[in-house]
Amino acid sequence: MAKIKYVSSPEDLERLRREIIAKREPSKPCITVCVSTGCAAQGSRRVVEAFRAELEKQGLKDKVEIKETGCVGFCEQGPRVTVYPQEIYYFKVKPEDIPEIVSKTVLKKQIVERLLYKDSITGRTAQKLEEIPFYKYQLRLLLENNTKIDPKNIEDYIAVGGYSALAKALFEMTPEQIIEEVKKSNLRGRGGGGFPTGIKWETTRNAPGEPKYVIVNCDQGDPGAFMDRTVMEGNPHSVLEGLIIGGYAIGAHQGFVYVREEYPIAAENISIAIKQAEEYGLLGENIMGSSFSFNVKVHRGAGAFVSGESSALMTAIEGKVGEPRPKYIHTAIKGIWDKPSCLNNTKTWATIPLIILKGAEWFRSIGTKGSSGTMIFSLVGKVNNTGLVEVPMGITLRDLIFKIGGGIRGGKKFKAVQTGGPSGGFIPEQYLDTPVDFDELTKLGSMMGSGGMIVMDEDTCMVDMARYFIDFLLEESCGKCVPCREGLKALSKILNDICEGKGKDGDIETVRDVAEVMRDASLCALGRTAANPVLTSLKYFRDEWEQHIKFKRCPSKACKALISYYIDPEKCQACTLCLRECPAGAIQGGKDQVHWIEQEKCIKCGTCYEACNFAAVKKLSGEPIPPTLKGVKPIRKKVVR
Amino acid sequence: MFNEKSESPRKKEGKSQFVGSRIGEKEREILSKLQETSGLSKTQLLLKGLEVLGEYYSLGLDQSPISIELTRFETEALRYAEAIRQIRQRGQAIKLIVQELRDVDAIIDKHEGDRSRLIQILLDVQKKYGWLPKLALMWISERLDVPMARIYSVATFYKAFSLTPRGRHTIRVCMGTSCKVRGAPTLLDNTRRALGIEPGQTTPDAKFSLTTVNCLGCCALGPMMTVDDEYYGRLKVTDVKRILAKYS
Repeated sequence: MAKIKYVSSPEDLERLRREIIAKREPSKPCITVCVSTGCAAQGSRRVVEAFRAELEKQGLKDKVEIKETGCVGFCEQGPRVTVYPQEIYYFKVKPEDIPEIVSKTVLKKQIVERLLYKDSITGRTAQKLEEIPFYKYQLRLLLENNTKIDPKNIEDYIAVGGYSALAKALFEMTPEQIIEEVKKSNLRGRGGGGFPTGIKWETTRNAPGEPKYVIVNCDQGDPGAFMDRTVMEGNPHSVLEGLIIGGYAIGAHQGFVYVREEYPIAAENISIAIKQAEEYGLLGENIMGSSFSFNVKVHRGAGAFVSGESSALMTAIEGKVGEPRPKYIHTAIKGIWDKPSCLNNTKTWATIPLIILKGAEWFRSIGTKGSSGTMIFSLVGKVNNTGLVEVPMGITLRDLIFKIGGGIRGGKKFKAVQTGGPSGGFIPEQYLDTPVDFDELTKLGSMMGSGGMIVMDEDTCMVDMARYFIDFLLEESCGKCVPCREGLKALSKILNDICEGKGKDGDIETVRDVAEVMRDASLCALGRTAANPVLTSLKYFRDEWEQHIKFKRCPSKACKALISYYIDPEKCQACTLCLRECPAGAIQGGKDQVHWIEQEKCIKCGTCYEACNFAAVKKLSGEPIPPTLKGVKPIRKKVVR
Repeated sequence: MFNEKSESPRKKEGKSQFVGSRIGEKEREILSKLQETSGLSKTQLLLKGLEVLGEYYSLGLDQSPISIELTRFETEALRYAEAIRQIRQRGQAIKLIVQELRDVDAIIDKHEGDRSRLIQILLDVQKKYGWLPKLALMWISERLDVPMARIYSVATFYKAFSLTPRGRHTIRVCMGTSCKVRGAPTLLDNTRRALGIEPGQTTPDAKFSLTTVNCLGCCALGPMMTVDDEYYGRLKVTDVKRILAKYS
């Protein structure tokens, strides 16, 4: 019977699938807990252990199944638990809640109301994902199976239809037909560039030289974006299946998966997936009994943003320093060891099985004319519902941020959204109705990038943000070409000066000049797009720059050198909390005495601002600090909180 | 051993003990200690020494380049022992490094001695020791036949590698964009001040190392930091002290 597990024909795969499904009773309760990084950071491992202990205690160990699964994207509300067969979603679950879930939901089929998602505005609760506003507008193609399958178990993936696209590709289609189908689907690279995938494949296939290589790029270095990790952690087999199909279509027999060092779970899960696929005959020699053989190796990165660039990544796979090289000849023709190498993003590979199974027409019916399919965005920053969202291309920014994201935190005012990581740009309020796809974002001076979407409110200083990205890139630039290396240094110096109140006339013009040289003359995309955040910040928020330079004032009160802290004597309740917390000992006063800050001692760390429960600590910028009143009795108020 | 100068007490004692060579108080002490620890008599010790010496010459270990390499490794072993502040004795230091080089060997074997797996090998060594000892790098250079210069270029290019020993606990403060807009710079400032070190440094008591990281992919929980494998999210600057106090 053990032999049946080895798939040596498409019929074998179907038989195996039927067997797996038959083995499982649909009515058997199953609890799935998200253990990917976001939820694990909030203690989901302890939740799993608590479930195990509780089921053991109640003697239900064999009657209820527990699965550790991937992410559904709503990290804000983690840890997430789903109870099947009713499919009830519980959020913010703590180990103390487990006995109640087991005795009520699992045994009596009742619902634990307080653990359901509760909308903060309407106050309504939701049992199913579709009822939650965060999910209502989503279309989940890649993330859909993350709640159902255990990424460490290939049978789970096969049970939901996995590897049938591979069977179809190997036995019913020729490599040319596959490439044609991918071309027709209008799938564009999900890593940010948006290059048509089918054309890239064709280039590599037709390029002279053997062997050919295919590579998965899971080196998502963009700060604020983590969807590649989620796909790799939650559903590694979908990426692997796409890669094998790609290998067959392109004519490669060796694949590489490049995973970022900061994503240990992703590296572990894909390694397990590769091993299992080999055991089942879905990877290795003569896949599924066909004449096609294919092997995959995992390559961990070692922490370098620039290594996510295609030529740099390939150099890293060769075991060298991951620096980009000039691409007069594209890597699709001369990549790893100068052989034709096709590199695609994790999500691109994971989309392939869907296109093969459902066809190019179906895929093109989703999204916009220029950009078909769905895109996963990581909606983060100052937005109420943070997490990963998968939506059809063409959704407007406003829908994304306000309908799905639930608006800005703390009722503050929206200022800008930053897309595309350090290479992207800021998009201000007047463009909120722009449909999101590759071309529209580029028109605004930003880019799709890998889908990071960082929302900023009125407290975020746009000059400071521009400085942040420049300093980030300065550290990450490999230093090989002059425009990028020196340009970033110059920009960083000027921006730091402006943020420290040392800006001078003409700075803005210099910034623009340097940015233009970098855009035209840098070696790789890192340098060419490095100035995007600065240029868009200048274009849409020039007033803020001028305030910094001319009046030494930071309108958002974020630039440390330009602000002072001040305690409002009318609000201070003399509770001594800030006084005790202040690391510099700059706060004076005492019980029954309104506190004041000794400005010369203040290090502007913001501890008092966060510590105060009465909002008495204020930030001032570009205005004189009111004279301090010493020995005043506080005006007592009722405690608001 | 045959040094005449140290035999000043000879005059007092007369011609009493002649055992192949004339030895003084100090040497006698060393000898008896040697006999005690090894459980061998002096003649047995001499025989053993001669055997090892014979082995050394018969293998041709006295000839360059092997003898030069051996001295090089010996020097490095002593430096290494000093760097990790553990061992003062040469013999122990050499034993220790032989063990470590065997470990590195095992890692290289795991990657089939493949030169293109250099980064993977370094990652594994980094994981095992928490840093990249120079000896291990020399060994990798030797085994893979890759120049040290290239190994250094890789080891200094990537953020994951450290050429100095790290503290017992590694603190990583996330400086990703999402954490940044939610107040990561202030968090880092406070952590820096609490520890008295800059990112990339280790506290003098080797307790904490502080680093920053571009993004940990927990953007929903920002600002956040990790200590070893533990994640701390939604932090306020006032939480830093409490978290640091948890570690010893």
